[in-house]
Amino acid sequence: MVDWQIDLIKVIFIWVWALLIAVVMTWVERRASAMMQDRLGPNRAGPFGLLQPLADGIKLFTKEDIIPEKARKILFVLGPPLFALPAFSAYAVVPFGDKIVLGGKEIILQVSDVNIGFLYVLALGAIGVYGMVIGGWASNSKYSILGGLRATAQLISYEVPMGLALLTIVLLYGTFSLREMVLLQQGTFLGFLPNWGIFKQPLGFIIFLVAAYAEANRVPFDLPECESELVTGYHTEYGSMRLGLYLFGEYVNLGTLAAITVCLFFGGWSLPYVDMSKFLGPVSYGIASFMVFFLKQAFFLFLFVWVRWTVPRFRYDQLMGLGWKALIPLGLVNLFVTALLVQLTI
Amino acid sequence: MDLYFIVFAIMAVGAGLFTITAKDALPSALGLLTVFIALSALYLHLHAPLIAIFQVSIYAGAILVLVVFVIMLLITPDEELETSQKNMSYRILGAFLGAYLIALLAIGTKGVKDLIHQQTLPDGFGHPGMIGSLFFKEYLLHFEVASVLLLVALVAAIYLAKKNI
Repeated sequence: MVDWQIDLIKVIFIWVWALLIAVVMTWVERRASAMMQDRLGPNRAGPFGLLQPLADGIKLFTKEDIIPEKARKILFVLGPPLFALPAFSAYAVVPFGDKIVLGGKEIILQVSDVNIGFLYVLALGAIGVYGMVIGGWASNSKYSILGGLRATAQLISYEVPMGLALLTIVLLYGTFSLREMVLLQQGTFLGFLPNWGIFKQPLGFIIFLVAAYAEANRVPFDLPECESELVTGYHTEYGSMRLGLYLFGEYVNLGTLAAITVCLFFGGWSLPYVDMSKFLGPVSYGIASFMVFFLKQAFFLFLFVWVRWTVPRFRYDQLMGLGWKALIPLGLVNLFVTALLVQLTI
Repeated sequence: MDLYFIVFAIMAVGAGLFTITAKDALPSALGLLTVFIALSALYLHLHAPLIAIFQVSIYAGAILVLVVFVIMLLITPDEELETSQKNMSYRILGAFLGAYLIALLAIGTKGVKDLIHQQTLPDGFGHPGMIGSLFFKEYLLHFEVASVLLLVALVAAIYLAKKNI
């Protein structure tokens, strides 16, 4: 196979994978929430209700597409794709496995290993907010505009602690490439712990996780949606597949954030203590590394659901207070201490 | 001239013109967003991926979000932007400054012809590590001056926000 064909296959694979995760997540969310609330949840369509996402999709596609009369038409149409596209694009730099050898050719399981990989993810995460803002502005509804306003303020506030937490990771590994970061996390730390980022940066991990929940607009930080006050915030006026794109983009976002968490703090595709490449063939090793990565990612995806149905929503001033008064000072202290430790140990 | 440059240059200039002529506040901000993205594509073309990604993550991802926040907070979609000053002297001053800027740019482009030629890039050009070492070795003074400038802005902002320090 020629190089561009391999690249094309990787792009298609990652696209389908991102979509599939988003689809399955809608089912997991509903079933898991039902489980936690002692209900059954959707169980009619297919075994365990597994075909429910398909039914939802058909419903969203066949519904009438309503654009409010006084909405800004162009912006209204532009909003959902602008929200969903950055979410998809972020997957391009995620290393979803080590490498696989097919026909004597070594293929790296990552669409593009750029040396600024993780800055790219950060940048795209920030761009996604414009989709919400445009939706809120164009809808000609007070709920929507408040939702959009909250989204911007929340993004700015939580971008800073997230950046600080990620800076400590860069200090630790000395690289921006997600692939190199994963490779640096193999082996053991202090003799018995896996050499994962979380054991070296526990505080950084907590800050990152909280900021990630805020960036993805998940409960307890889903203030831009906030059903109890704003109906559904920035996408109140949306219906049919436009709404579907917003919801979908959110789940794709979750997938990206879970993948980044795994890459930065949980050793990516590598198993602790065991070097899989030693006793697995080149092809099966590639598949196994992807499976390991996927299992770790699945855990963090489930954590998103778990937290959503356990923790109540913050009030808006509490959200801002947590961001500016707790996470940013903590992040600064963490950065300072890490810089000092790195300097002393080198 | 290569097509890549022309496409994004036209996109940047067009979006820039839209930004200053749009009457609606938010579309105007989105025009600025397009300018930033087109510029970052041009940086990528110049083998400077780090600058390109900073252009997006800092200007589009942080500063412009702040601008959009202010727009959302203060302006409703029904309002149109109008010049608060219908003062003639301001307009003449603006026209004069604009003409001066264009003249400066025109003088600047005279030297460009000498710069445009194929050049082999040094090893690791545009790599984050390389830029970092340039900052902390060759251009340390410039770097520090810029950070002092930012510090001054920070102090001023705190002073403005808190009257009784």
